[in-house]
Amino acid sequence: MSATVLHTEAGVSDEKQAAAKSAGRRFGALVVRLGAIAAFAAIMAYFVIFAPGFTSTFNLINVVEQSAILGVLAYGMTAVIIGGGSDVTEGGIDLSIAANMGLCAAVYATLLSMGYGDFLSVLAAIAVGMAVGALNALAVVGLGILPLLATLAVLNVAAGMELTLTQNTVVGASSPLLGVLVSGSFLGISALAWALIVFSAIMIVIVHGTSFGLRLYAVGGHPEAARAAGLSVPFYVSFTYVLSGFCAAVASILTVSRLSASTPGSGELLLSVLAAALLGTVFSRRFVPTMGGTLLSVLFIGLLANGFQLLNVSSYWVNGVQGALILLVVAITSFARGSEGSR
Amino acid sequence: MSVSANDNNTKASLRGFLAKYSVLIAFAAIVIFFAVASPTFLTPANLFNVLVNNVVMLAIVALGLTIVISSGGIDLSVGVSVDMASMIFVMLLAAGYSGVVGVAGGLGAALIVGILNAILITRLNISPFLATLGVLFIGQSTQQLATSGGQPIYLTSGYAADQFNAIARTALFGMPTPVIVLIVLAVAVHLLLHRSVFGRYVQAMGAQPGVAWYSGIRVPRELSMVHVLCALLSGVTGILLSATVKSYVPLSGNAFLLDAIGATFIGTTLSRERKPSVIGTLLGVLLLAIVKNGLLLVGWNFYWQQVGIGVLVFLVLAASFGLRRAAH
Repeated sequence: MSATVLHTEAGVSDEKQAAAKSAGRRFGALVVRLGAIAAFAAIMAYFVIFAPGFTSTFNLINVVEQSAILGVLAYGMTAVIIGGGSDVTEGGIDLSIAANMGLCAAVYATLLSMGYGDFLSVLAAIAVGMAVGALNALAVVGLGILPLLATLAVLNVAAGMELTLTQNTVVGASSPLLGVLVSGSFLGISALAWALIVFSAIMIVIVHGTSFGLRLYAVGGHPEAARAAGLSVPFYVSFTYVLSGFCAAVASILTVSRLSASTPGSGELLLSVLAAALLGTVFSRRFVPTMGGTLLSVLFIGLLANGFQLLNVSSYWVNGVQGALILLVVAITSFARGSEGSR
Repeated sequence: MSVSANDNNTKASLRGFLAKYSVLIAFAAIVIFFAVASPTFLTPANLFNVLVNNVVMLAIVALGLTIVISSGGIDLSVGVSVDMASMIFVMLLAAGYSGVVGVAGGLGAALIVGILNAILITRLNISPFLATLGVLFIGQSTQQLATSGGQPIYLTSGYAADQFNAIARTALFGMPTPVIVLIVLAVAVHLLLHRSVFGRYVQAMGAQPGVAWYSGIRVPRELSMVHVLCALLSGVTGILLSATVKSYVPLSGNAFLLDAIGATFIGTTLSRERKPSVIGTLLGVLLLAIVKNGLLLVGWNFYWQQVGIGVLVFLVLAASFGLRRAAH
């Protein structure tokens, strides 16, 4: 914690003292940021030209649908990283988010299959998701456990509870709500795609359009200063973990609708969620996590997988290319940040 | 007045004591609980089984992570090192090479993973978390491409199987080879981390990276060594794993990652500054292994075991962090 604070302070005083230097660096950062975005654009252009049917409305909506689950989860992760600070070992992180989604999906599907209605089942899933989030908040804020460790322990609890509930089997589910999510559409856009659009809009407005969002950044960027300014740091940090649990619950309903069931193995999404949230920082001017950036990187990951599919490239390449891109983007970013970025 | 202050002091020091030894207390309590709950728990045969099947491989990966976490970093790609070593080792044996060549090839594959991590972290200035996350993704793809989507390679009979047996099943001084390997490696890593100049550099980098750099420690060089060592240790686990199960199952190494991180951090609760140590890590591994085994013996199924371990790790962390916070 103290290292992060010192680091930020040093960054701030640097900027004041060496304005010329910082202007140069800002220009460099701009070039790099545009470069990274240009690299993304180049990949997309390649797909547009060479992948048959890539730009068809049907395909693009399909990508948005496929990205909905990852997107909702990545928003939760982004909120936690914003509120907890982006230092990856000491800062905010929620490793339990994907397992939490699996647990919520299991609860939702099990309750539906037991004959409870949509209302109760959705309520229960959201309650479970937020309870897991509250447990993370208790561990991180109340007990002062490192987020990485606390959420790791909660990951095990959530994953284990999912397994006990479903006995590691597929629990089929159907309900009016799921029916609407699967086949409903409005203005030619399917319900699942709408879910991502509406959820994105809400998250972007809350985090980037309200004073609440601004305070959240303050808390994550410089907890000491935020405390001195009278903000309740524990409240904001707790809020992000509960929000992350809420996102997991929403994503669980989307995943049950997409697969018409809750299935084991949702924990595997964790790495993609992390990648999306961290990759998103390159879209922001100061290389901080933003909701818009996360949305772009989620769509990018979705388009990448989709483009590969259309080009008939084996899906085994997708992970590797995703990994290489993360490394490329982060290497460029740390180069752009110069001395500020290196530890 | 003075009496109450004194009283507060004893309370605080009691809390400090509890915080410091919470892992040991939990450990003792768990052993006693399972010893009472299950008659087979404390039998030599069962303890031996725990040691060979649940402790050795996890412990070797955790030793590697202990070095990395001491340096202030993290390695999410230990699973890739495990898998790559296992893959090359099995492929070489399947192609008819001897065990020595297989082991050398396996360790070589892990070495490459380590060097890749080192280059990304020290030359390209990528944070260890992101660098090793990227390598993890790339490693998963590589394995899927090399095994047409994750087909395991089984070797059940013939020359290669004999070579496997030579590694996994022979015994020295009445101990199976893997246990001997763990003991040798644990002593070596302990000496390296806590008794050598390199170890002091590693600890310095972990405590104060900036200061370490200013005091003339060649941070990139030492950090590269840290990541290479971690990958090599994980590679040893990969070889032991495939020799024990006589096969290579793609993407199986990832199962070690979270447990190893958990064990290392449980171990850090032993020291006041929360520094990782070899003894703490081994204790963390033992704790996880004993809980897994004990829950199995008292009749919990695999699924409940995971809940049990999660709850237990949570409680140990809560006790250690919470009590220490209260003591301040």
